[in-house]
Amino acid sequence: MRIRTWAFFTGQAFSSMRRNSWMTVASIGTVAVTMIVLGIFLLLGGNINNIAGNIESQVEVSIYLQDEITSGQVDDLAQKFAAMEQVALVKYVSKEEALQELREMYGESGDFLAGLELDNPLRNGFRLRTHRPEQVLEIVPTLRSFDGVAEVQYGQGFVEQLFAVTNVMRVVALGLMLGLASAATFIIANTIRITVFARRREISIMKYVGATDWFIRWPFVIEGMTLGLVGSLIAAGLVAWAYSAAVVNLAVTIPFFPLVKPWPFLLGVSGWLLLIGTTIGVLGSTLSLRRFLRV
Amino acid sequence: MLELYAVSKIYGNGVVALRDVDLKVNKGEFVFIVGPSGAGKTTLTRLILAEEKPTKGQIIVNNKVVNNLRPSEIPYLRRQIGTVFQDFRLMHNWTVEENVSFAMKVIEAPRRAIRKRVPEVLEMVGLANKAKHLPTQLSGGEQQRVALARAIVNQPYILLADEPTGNLDPETAWGIMRVLQDINAQGTTILMVTHAKNIVDEMRKRVVALEGGRIVRDETRGAYGNEN
Ligand SMILES: Nc1ncnc2c1ncn2[C@@H]1O[C@H](COP(=O)(O)OP(=O)(O)OP(=O)(O)O)[C@@H](O)[C@H]1O
Ligand SMILES: [Mg+2]
Repeated sequence: MRIRTWAFFTGQAFSSMRRNSWMTVASIGTVAVTMIVLGIFLLLGGNINNIAGNIESQVEVSIYLQDEITSGQVDDLAQKFAAMEQVALVKYVSKEEALQELREMYGESGDFLAGLELDNPLRNGFRLRTHRPEQVLEIVPTLRSFDGVAEVQYGQGFVEQLFAVTNVMRVVALGLMLGLASAATFIIANTIRITVFARRREISIMKYVGATDWFIRWPFVIEGMTLGLVGSLIAAGLVAWAYSAAVVNLAVTIPFFPLVKPWPFLLGVSGWLLLIGTTIGVLGSTLSLRRFLRV
Repeated sequence: MLELYAVSKIYGNGVVALRDVDLKVNKGEFVFIVGPSGAGKTTLTRLILAEEKPTKGQIIVNNKVVNNLRPSEIPYLRRQIGTVFQDFRLMHNWTVEENVSFAMKVIEAPRRAIRKRVPEVLEMVGLANKAKHLPTQLSGGEQQRVALARAIVNQPYILLADEPTGNLDPETAWGIMRVLQDINAQGTTILMVTHAKNIVDEMRKRVVALEGGRIVRDETRGAYGNEN
């Protein structure tokens, strides 16, 4: 279609929104509220995933070595660990590296770590990762039996329970999101149905003049799309602002709470909100038009 | 040419609105459709516009069978048929000019063509100086002229007018009739449904009379009929 025709459609859509300004504000508000709730779910979901991922990456066995063993013994142990069939990854972590990692983890709030390099209380050790988390249990007794091993730590049990919980939460969150999205579609469909109903006379005139269904439909689709887009833009803005503020505040009050960093996480969340909001708008308008096009 | 062969229409509620109607209208003709209320006149126009499908028979517009069009083909049929109704059917919040140019936007006519053609037809219906008015600022006769301008702006094959003077006083009605005559003189076929006896009697055009869904009279230079 010609660009000018699109300009005409857009003009129609906007003058309709201006004429029904009250309805326009109401439906933008509805989309915004729905998308805010959806956004909160996305943020929660992202963070749950993040925690789960963190924990998954922490399903590893930490082996601390006795202080007095020689480097020859350390090499020997490394080879023995690597030879075990359940072991996927072996990594030597010196106590200096362990201290450095702690510093990175705590960042600015890690003042208490200052000066520890002079008298490092940490121990040299290994980190092992198994092919599957549950294999940890199988190898722990063997690991403990090696000479030079002072201590073996692992997070089994807790980890499995947590996975079960996060899985349930994921399903519940997905269900809630789907429910919310269909509720929002329904509300937009109703809003547009009111404008369509108000304009059914105009629609029938258009049909007498020989307008195709798509010619009639496009202005409404653009209207729905705009309502959805503006509503979700507002929601995305608010959600992004609130989350960034929350991350800053939590960093002060609960320094080690593992919130996902705002960037690029918020970009993804906003993208989804805009996409879903706009789709809901388009879907709503097409649904509400179906009945009125049969003239 | 407009052709109807043995067309019958029975509505869903069982009302027989048209029975075995045969009608042939040549290009450039001016035809009045008359008859008492409920005779099936409006039904006839709705069948030609593919608003309703005939129960039986065949309808041909400009050599194309139109009685069983797919919904997606209907708009293209309607672009060949200009329509005017008793109640004008204008967009209330569009200006005269916008109402008329809309018909050209629908067929995606080039902007240059729209700019040239719209003033032309407004001139023809005598509204050149009211292009920027809204329909609510116009008299009934003027509103019907806008509808006429919109109906002919794309140079349709046929102009269907269902009681175009029904809401107008006699003098204004004659103004509309003069415009219709001008349109007809330029070669557009006109089918006009009317109850206006004086107009039909005065104009001496072809008259097709319907009664109970049947064509009871078809005269080349006819009158409204003495029974009314
Ligand atoms: N949509 C419809 N459904 C059922 N019956 C209808 C419908 N439209 C018209 N009819 C019936 O069909 C018959 C013909 O109606 P139509 O509107 O064609 O008459 P008309 O000649 O235009 O009358 P008028 O001069 O009053 O406008 C009438 O009996 C009417 O009640
Ligand atoms: Mg009628």
